[in-house]
Amino acid sequence: MSSDRTKKTKPADHPGTLIAESIKALGSGFATTAKHLLRRPVTEQYPEQKRVLPERSRARIVLTRDPDGRERCVACYLCSAVCPVSCISMQSTGGEGGRRVAAWFRINFSRCIYCGLCEEACPTSAIQLTPDFENCRQDILEMVFEKDDLLVDHGGRDDRYCFYRHAGIATDTAGKGEHVNEQPPVDAKSNLP
Amino acid sequence: MIKLIIDNLRVEVPPGTRVIDAAEQAGIMIPRFCYHPALGAVGACRVCAVQVLEGSCRGIRMSCMIEAEEGMVISTTDEEAVAFRRQVIEWLMANHPHDCPVCDEGGQCLLQDMTVSGGHGRRRLPVKKRTHIDQHLGPLVVHEMNRCIQCYRCVRFYREYAGYTDLGVMGSAGRVYFGRRSDGVLESPFAGNLIDVCPTGVFTDRPSRFKGRYWDFERTPSVCIHCSLGCRVTVNTRYREVVRVEAAHDPQVNGWFICDRGRYGFPYASSPQRPRSARIDGRKSGVDEALDEAARRLSGIAQRHGSGSVALAASGRVCLETLGALTRFGSEKGWRGPFFRAGPRTAEALQSASKNLEEKISISLKDIEKSDFILLVGCDPVNEAPMLALSVRQARRRGAVVALADARSVQLPLDARRLALRPSQLTAALMRFAGKAVADGGAALSDRARGFLQACRDSRVDPAVDEQIDHLGLAARESRRPVVVCGTSAVAPDTPAAAANVARLLAAEGRKAGFFPVLPGANALALGLAGRTADHGAALREALEKGDVRALVVVETNLSELGFSADDPLLENLEALVVCDCLDSAAGRAARVFIPTQTVFEAGGTFVSAEARVREARPAFRGGTPVAQVSGGGHPPRTFSPDIPGADPLPAWQVLAALAREGTRVSADTLRKALPAPLCGAAPGKRLALPASAPDAFQPPEDPATAADGGLEVVVCEHIFGSEPLSRRAACLQELESAPRLGLHPGDAAALQLSAGQRVAVDCGRGVIEGEIEIVNEMARGVLLVPRLRGIDWHAAADGPLVVAVADIRSVKPNGES
Ligand code: SF4
Ligand code: SF4
Ligand code: SF4
Ligand code: SF4
Ligand code: FES
Repeated sequence: MSSDRTKKTKPADHPGTLIAESIKALGSGFATTAKHLLRRPVTEQYPEQKRVLPERSRARIVLTRDPDGRERCVACYLCSAVCPVSCISMQSTGGEGGRRVAAWFRINFSRCIYCGLCEEACPTSAIQLTPDFENCRQDILEMVFEKDDLLVDHGGRDDRYCFYRHAGIATDTAGKGEHVNEQPPVDAKSNLP
Repeated sequence: MIKLIIDNLRVEVPPGTRVIDAAEQAGIMIPRFCYHPALGAVGACRVCAVQVLEGSCRGIRMSCMIEAEEGMVISTTDEEAVAFRRQVIEWLMANHPHDCPVCDEGGQCLLQDMTVSGGHGRRRLPVKKRTHIDQHLGPLVVHEMNRCIQCYRCVRFYREYAGYTDLGVMGSAGRVYFGRRSDGVLESPFAGNLIDVCPTGVFTDRPSRFKGRYWDFERTPSVCIHCSLGCRVTVNTRYREVVRVEAAHDPQVNGWFICDRGRYGFPYASSPQRPRSARIDGRKSGVDEALDEAARRLSGIAQRHGSGSVALAASGRVCLETLGALTRFGSEKGWRGPFFRAGPRTAEALQSASKNLEEKISISLKDIEKSDFILLVGCDPVNEAPMLALSVRQARRRGAVVALADARSVQLPLDARRLALRPSQLTAALMRFAGKAVADGGAALSDRARGFLQACRDSRVDPAVDEQIDHLGLAARESRRPVVVCGTSAVAPDTPAAAANVARLLAAEGRKAGFFPVLPGANALALGLAGRTADHGAALREALEKGDVRALVVVETNLSELGFSADDPLLENLEALVVCDCLDSAAGRAARVFIPTQTVFEAGGTFVSAEARVREARPAFRGGTPVAQVSGGGHPPRTFSPDIPGADPLPAWQVLAALAREGTRVSADTLRKALPAPLCGAAPGKRLALPASAPDAFQPPEDPATAADGGLEVVVCEHIFGSEPLSRRAACLQELESAPRLGLHPGDAAALQLSAGQRVAVDCGRGVIEGEIEIVNEMARGVLLVPRLRGIDWHAAADGPLVVAVADIRSVKPNGES
């Protein structure tokens, strides 16, 4: 095999061939440079230039509000249970009007891997990932976001869903039998068919 | 044994085993909603369907409704059975609301598990969901009827198993409703079990409502220390706080259930009022400094006045390790005590109950369920040892005769034959009963037993009740497994010994007879076995008056149990009052040196229950102030330190070791070994090695006195809520406390010219008990009932039934004037 290779390389050793090859390489190199000199650059001038990311790209997490402007999160612990890096913690409590709310809700973004599993698990559309990836701080403790830092005043990608209009429990949003797809409460003391 | 095949596995089970249980034995968990081992099978939910391939009933069958047969072949994975179960789950979900995210059952919900494992995800039914109005059921249980799947477990527990009737089933067809006739507090003190038995979230825990999810809780096996039965529980903690206590299964003791005192009694552990730092002369200090200071003062006093001038006080709430420390360091240092109970009467009652417990007649709660004749003497099961009432009820359901001899109008969830007797009559009544219950003095009896039987035959109580007692005795003649249950608070000092002797006599006749004591406190049996008879509250009082005792170390004990009031002047005379406790008490605030101790949830501990079973509580968390209190309810603090705030308290046994200048690094094991036999051999999970026979077996009581002429016997009545020192701090249970009233028989009230609602002051010698009169119909005559509740100074009558003269009872105006 090695003898094959020596044979093949032999013509290249010829000085004439060598010069011709060099000029060709030089020429094509300059041609490429010249071509790119005339083309529009592909590099975006971040941060002067900011591209609009797709709506579903996954970065900084927010807690959204329902169409009535009230906190959507019911502190069900599903997002914290599913989070593979355990960076969500919270404490549920009773809120106004019979609702269940988070007394506090904390995401440690220095640990978050932006996998989006929390959003997938959330039964109320409360937790959503946003395209805002520019979420860096000098101090790592500032990467720990509390509920106030997470709450936004809109519904994110889902501005229609309101959990308490569907859940069977009586709250100030809907009473028994007033939720979507519910019959009025039955009278248990009647034996009529 | 019956051999059958389930899913190609050979299974061997005793005859009468249900297929669902046989499969469980083989490790195959067939889905179930309505079946519950304690409540039996009703075949209501249809989710336990299996395919019977071989057997007398082939085809799809409910595995909870059929018994295993020889040669049966069962398939749980058969296609048809799987499809059937899947269908059942889907239709059970047809009306289920869309509220798992806000339901506290979520995560430990059988319905949720089955729905997920059955693969049911979307509702296909086009009709609207049926809904129900919920009821307010009191401070313990939340009702959310929409979630019901009609398994009937709740009513089967509440009405059949527990014997209360205010919760039931109403409506028909798709409207079936489980609740009360109308909103109101559930009457059963076992209502909390609804939360455990309901396979969905209809009944959930109110105190821990919205506090967290099952998977986030640290779950620790533990033991309930709110009475002497030692039920097994599971403690759920999170963020340095006990969130919830649940029943844990113990086939010999509490079965599947616990009472509400045990379930909801825990908030004292995380109360904001709980003392977490030491105090010296009213000034906050570090625990080490306070231990040093207390040890210095104690040794100073011991040097000046002799080591006997330092006394220890303890109660049934200290664990075996602490009791070991009290015994060991007490004897090493020459300190007196531990003093326990209020006086000679109650101390003797406790000790004779403990020391009379011997191998042959000692029984478990489970044995009580199997007995056929139960005599309850001087005890009020629901209020003093709640789960005992459920055990007695199970026996009654199986046809046992239950008789009750007591001064109080004891309420039981079953029908019992009642004998309203004064405490002083109980011993004689027991003996007279035994005299009739034993047919003849048979050759089987030893001389001593025969002597006791003769004393029984000679015993007289009162012509008015003798006949009733005789009837009862005759009714007990045929019983094969008679049981005598005896209290230690509302009885004469010699009653527990007599009760044990009666059980012995019945056992000597060849029956499987048992004696079950009801004791004051989770570790009272150990205290009764380890303590000295002479070391009781009255003796301590005397020693204080004489100046023999100059320093008192109170370990996890409420001084009212020793007959002291919170502001007793005798305590002020002490040179050093050292209080070690996890509770905030008047004595603790008055103490010269106060040292905070850990609760059972932090320190763990070993306790010996009334049936001599050694119960172990493991530490559930490391201690410290709950995160919610540190953060004021908001998010946890963003500052970090290696120490846990509020984690100064030490286990009481370590505190005692430090007070004895032995350093805090003692091992709990060696402390237990310092106790006298049989306590030193206590092995968790086992029963104590009880003596084969007690030294003074068959010793007839010296003088079974019956008379209490011209006076009233004062009986302090324990209540399920509000009496026990730990659980009475739970806000949710405080709502359920009864009003504190002094009970009188209508006849006595008429004789004393007192009427209901009138305020009286009763001079008990050691103090005056003041309160409103309540007329109680079913109680004994010649008795005054004093509730052990807040608002009543019951400690004056703490030493058992003492007699007050009629002249000592006077009526007072509400403002306190005569
Ligand atoms: S995106 Fe992933 S890692 Fe980040 S919080 Fe959600 S589940 Fe956790
Ligand atoms: S899953 Fe959604 S509703 Fe549940 S706690 Fe997380 S954000 Fe809140
Ligand atoms: S309330 Fe619960 S226990 Fe009772 S029938 Fe309904 S699902 Fe079963
Ligand atoms: S019966 Fe006694 S030991 Fe059992 S749960 Fe109730 S208070 Fe606790
Ligand atoms: S468990 Fe068998 S029918 Fe419900």
